[in-house]
Amino acid sequence: MRYPLNVTVNGLRASADVEPHRSLLSVLREEIGLTGPKEGCDDSECGACMVLLDGEPVNACSYLALQTDGRAVTTVEGVAPADGLHPIQRELLAAGGVQCGFCTPGIVMSAKALLDRNPDCDEDDVRHALAGNLCRCTGYQKIIAAVLRAARQPEHGPADRP
Amino acid sequence: MTGTTSVLGQRFVRRDGPEKVTGEARYTADLAFTGLLHAKFVYAGRAHARIVAIDTTEAARMPGVHAVLTQADAPLVRYGMFVKDRTLFAHEVVRFEAEIVAAVAADTPERAAAAAAAVRVEYEDLPAVLDVDAALSPAAPVLHPDWLDYRTQDGVLRAPNDCGHMTSVKGDVDAGFAEAELQLTETYCSDMAHAVPIEPHAVVAQWQGEKVTIWTTSQVPFPARAGVAETLQIPQSNVRIVVPHLGGGFGGKCDFHFEAHVALLARATRRPVRLVFSRREEFLATDKVRHAARIELTTGVKRDGTITARRARLLLDSGAYCGDALFATEIGLMMVAGPYRVPNLYAEVHTVYTNRTPAGSVRAPGGPQTCWAVEQHTDELARLVGLDPLEFRRRNLVRAGDTGQTGQRFVSSSAQRCLDRAAELAGWPGTDLAEGEALGVAVGWWFSLSVPSGAYLKLNPDGTGTIITGAQENGSGSVMGLALLAAEELGMRPEAFSILYQDTDAGPFDIGSAGSQTTFNNGRAVMEAAREVREKLLALAAERLEIHQRDLELVDGSVRVKGAPTRSIPLAEIAAGAQLIGSGSGTPPPLPEHDLTGCGGRLGYSAFAAPSFFCHIARVRVDRETGVVSVPEVVAVHEFGRVLNPLGAQGQVEGGVIQSVGMALLEGSQYDGGHQLNPGLLGYKLVTAPDAPTVTVDFLDDAVDQGGPHGAKAVGEPPVVGTPAAIGNAIAAATGTRVRALPMNAERVWTALHRPSAGAVTAGGEA
Amino acid sequence: MSRYFAPGNAAEAAELLRTTPGARVVAGGTDLVVAARGGKHPLPEVLVALHRVPELARVRETEAGIILGALTTHTWVERSGLVRSRWSALADAAAMIGSPATRSTGTIGGNLMNASPAMDLGSPLLVLDATVELRRTGGTRALTVAELLAGPGRTTAAPDELLSSVRIPAPVPGTGSAYIRLEHRRAMEIAIVGAAAALRFDSRGEIVAARLALTAAAPVCLRVPAAEAGLLGRRLDAEALAAAGRAAVAAVRPISDVRASADYRRAMTAVVVARALTLAARRAAAGSSVPGPDHPPTATGSVQ
Ligand SMILES: Cc1cc2nc3c(=O)[nH]c(=O)nc-3n(C[C@H](O)[C@H](O)[C@H](O)COP(=O)(O)OP(=O)(O)OC[C@H]3O[C@@H](n4cnc5c(N)ncnc54)[C@H](O)[C@@H]3O)c2cc1C
Ligand code: FES
Ligand code: FES
Repeated sequence: MRYPLNVTVNGLRASADVEPHRSLLSVLREEIGLTGPKEGCDDSECGACMVLLDGEPVNACSYLALQTDGRAVTTVEGVAPADGLHPIQRELLAAGGVQCGFCTPGIVMSAKALLDRNPDCDEDDVRHALAGNLCRCTGYQKIIAAVLRAARQPEHGPADRP
Repeated sequence: MTGTTSVLGQRFVRRDGPEKVTGEARYTADLAFTGLLHAKFVYAGRAHARIVAIDTTEAARMPGVHAVLTQADAPLVRYGMFVKDRTLFAHEVVRFEAEIVAAVAADTPERAAAAAAAVRVEYEDLPAVLDVDAALSPAAPVLHPDWLDYRTQDGVLRAPNDCGHMTSVKGDVDAGFAEAELQLTETYCSDMAHAVPIEPHAVVAQWQGEKVTIWTTSQVPFPARAGVAETLQIPQSNVRIVVPHLGGGFGGKCDFHFEAHVALLARATRRPVRLVFSRREEFLATDKVRHAARIELTTGVKRDGTITARRARLLLDSGAYCGDALFATEIGLMMVAGPYRVPNLYAEVHTVYTNRTPAGSVRAPGGPQTCWAVEQHTDELARLVGLDPLEFRRRNLVRAGDTGQTGQRFVSSSAQRCLDRAAELAGWPGTDLAEGEALGVAVGWWFSLSVPSGAYLKLNPDGTGTIITGAQENGSGSVMGLALLAAEELGMRPEAFSILYQDTDAGPFDIGSAGSQTTFNNGRAVMEAAREVREKLLALAAERLEIHQRDLELVDGSVRVKGAPTRSIPLAEIAAGAQLIGSGSGTPPPLPEHDLTGCGGRLGYSAFAAPSFFCHIARVRVDRETGVVSVPEVVAVHEFGRVLNPLGAQGQVEGGVIQSVGMALLEGSQYDGGHQLNPGLLGYKLVTAPDAPTVTVDFLDDAVDQGGPHGAKAVGEPPVVGTPAAIGNAIAAATGTRVRALPMNAERVWTALHRPSAGAVTAGGEA
Repeated sequence: MSRYFAPGNAAEAAELLRTTPGARVVAGGTDLVVAARGGKHPLPEVLVALHRVPELARVRETEAGIILGALTTHTWVERSGLVRSRWSALADAAAMIGSPATRSTGTIGGNLMNASPAMDLGSPLLVLDATVELRRTGGTRALTVAELLAGPGRTTAAPDELLSSVRIPAPVPGTGSAYIRLEHRRAMEIAIVGAAAALRFDSRGEIVAARLALTAAAPVCLRVPAAEAGLLGRRLDAEALAAAGRAAVAAVRPISDVRASADYRRAMTAVVVARALTLAARRAAAGSSVPGPDHPPTATGSVQ
């Protein structure tokens, strides 16, 4: 049986009829058309699917889509202001924190969750904020440096506050 | 040289970066198709069995199912890069748990999975061979009874259950041991490990008429095209392979794999069909793992530390099929002597069939395991003669003018300088070490793969450029970096180039993202193409400016008269009125001269072109009570000739080091019978951000240009080779005991410390 | 055909459980949904989602202690200065679970009801003398955590019972508690073995109250009464630690699996016991508390 889902995604209202077992990730990718969040694993271990739900990070692959009804989801597509990039995105580029890019959408979201709450973070905070995001390419070092640099910029405020 | 300032060696932002940070970048599984069907494979689920019967009738009748295929629906073609030992679907026998027996296409992934589960296969189990010793014992069942009938690449030496063996012989090994004053024999074992790109495999195939287009997560589009053509028996020109953005590979997406299965499903249904692997399938079915290995080393030394002779035997667990494993075989063989003067050597390597997941060329195939064994052995030799590990190495490292194990002459050697620089950066032997901490060192060498490649280059009417290349970007940035080389030739900014890549109908042949070869070979091709454009540009400009070509230069996107910067024409102006097209392939530098007298089974990696050297020093902290090892810092000094893109090269080293910290401490497949016990990311653990050490990277150069573009050498693979060895040596230094199984996980370290009588932990994974 | 309900209050949720055969609740889904994705157990046919039930998310602090609604997330626990200072072992455990996403999604109720032998909240709650409230249509009952946990993946709650809250009594002043787990990595781990301890000393430095519990060493998290009894009346010296370790090792029934052999787990039990006791004692002496605001114990509390 399908149930109506009404969810705000990146500031826009979206709706779909979905089965109870559907994950938020499959609804975002297949019904709402946002392929920024990726699927990299079966066990909530890789973080490629990371999105924000009411501002907190969740693994969209393992979260029931229907549980987001009436709530606000932010994906990587909703992070940049209309006229450019979010500081996290900018710094990732400048620091060389992007290689294959498959982990990047998830990294951006975990980093955003941290900076939105704690812009005054240190390296240890960043490492722990990214604990659920596996990156096989970069070795994390340049990503961590980028997030720390983004934290020091005044305008890392969220593009769309739920 | 053109221009006044070089763009080489500068920081630049990769062209594909912005779309990746915004989530707009499309990977294979992100593509949308009208009428798309979903594929699911039926796997054997057992290690070794004869297929008695396959019944697909029930599956084929299920709702939404469009096709159920088995080997009966495919040409009976055996394929394989070195040994043609496998078929697309299991033919009569299954030889590992994730052998593909059938494939389903249905209108939803759920229906495809349900139908796959409904395919009935009757098996008669056969005795499984699960490790290399069992496989080589004379009583072992022969896993490929028809092995003598298989076709092979020229020169492959085989035996029952051995799909490729080779020897490396230098000097007189008996005489060398006679000369030795001390000798040491050791055995090291490593578990099977995985490439684990974060993007799982995905393939979409769609036919129009006779022609199939396949979007795939391949690292090697041209070999994939050849594989599809060979197994489906169609012309290569009827196969177009397109790789959208690729989410990492590390060798796990090399060779040819699942493209043909999906193409067959698409042909049978006349609909686009998509396959996307789950992470579990990624572990079980990708059949491209890093070889489990057993490495036996005996070395003779004089009391002053001079190595006089070495005997080595490597057994690589190839799993059920040979795949592209013989790269690992020969490279492993080239690593047994290390970058040391070993005047007398006898080394042999066997690539052994077992009923496990097939192995292949994962990033630096054969490298990390062998270096890990050889470099720990080196430390033990140092201890035997009472020398500091650095001093022992200094006495034996190759120098310019020396000859390597196959007689290759080293025109230069930076091994010593890498060692000294790393020691300096790491503060060897460690002054500020905390309780339980120690440093460990490893040195090694690697090669640049010298093969043909090709590229086109054109200038657009707006003065920008487009590079059309057969090269494959795996994420490392090597293809993105081609813009630097083009820009350098044409006095343009690298940002002014767009790149069309990863489409076999567009770019010229290239072997793909394998062997760290892109910059080395395709870079040369791009430069040649750019030079052709440059000649045309200069000729046209000379005419217009009425001046000799020799007095012109290309600077800042224009052609201008040397010494008269106001007399210039923007490139856009010339390009708007003329076709400025170039092509290039570049001549690959030849393998250094060498001598294979006495060696057997060699396949072309018998000398290392443009060899590079490195030294890694790891600081580890061992918790003696638990065996838990953490790695606060790794120093990685590499000599890559000239580093063209420092940010990219650093990224390769940092990422490679972290991968191999995982290999050193965490990553290994465990087996029970013929089944992997940990085919997921919780059981098979990668290094996370909180665990990752600080990596201190430094680059040295080579005074001799060894044929790469601007003197560049291969960068992608060497960074993963040395770290496990450095960590192993650091653990031994910290604990006074050696862990001879990889990964050196907490329990193995603890066992070595507290249950030494348990002896060498048996690796290769039986839990 | 699968069905889904998202009730707005606990009574409604309990009634759905009573009247709908096969109904199971889902809180954060980090066990339930993840297990289904990994192919371990398919999702139940009828899902009763709890996230819209505000009363289950409520936290009440009283003289007698604290009552955490079942939906309290690990993130809430780890960020709570109060929990960190009074019930440090619980804060230690909450902060080491999974990743920030796991912690902001996963709940205390889900952790308990999932009843994994490796669950990190079990041992801390055991040493902190926590009780749970189970609610069904028509009544509630209180159980100790030990009474709740029945075996791997099993509790003594009936299928129509909801876990509504966890009550943790205020510790006697001077008590210190800690949780230590052995892990291969610093994050995203499952305990190889773990130990929680709560200790209180008299003015001469002798132990007057002791609690010790173990994680991943038996089919359920369990207290070790023999070790606790042995600690009373002594100082926490090397001999006392060793004796507690021996008693713990005698109480465990570890398994061999992909993470570790039984032999190693047994040996490590003594190590985590000693470390948990030592940290608890240090906190007792310092007047409790886990330092730092954000992610304290993964670095200091774990053995790495
Ligand atoms: C990546 C990852 C890492 C993890 N790391 C850890 C770790 O380090 N330590 C650890 O202990 N756990 C860990 N977990 C497991 C999990 O996150 C926790 O157990 C979490 O607390 C479960 O809560 P939940 O709300 O998500 O439970 P759910 O998945 O929603 O539910 C779990 C079970 O409890 C039942 N249930 C939930 N709430 C109630 C209720 N109020 N009344 C009755 N029944 C209920 C459900 O029916 C289900 O059977 C990890 C999980 C993941 C995915
Ligand atoms: S896909 Fe969600 S965590 Fe890996
Ligand atoms: S950039 Fe490739 S996984 Fe992170």
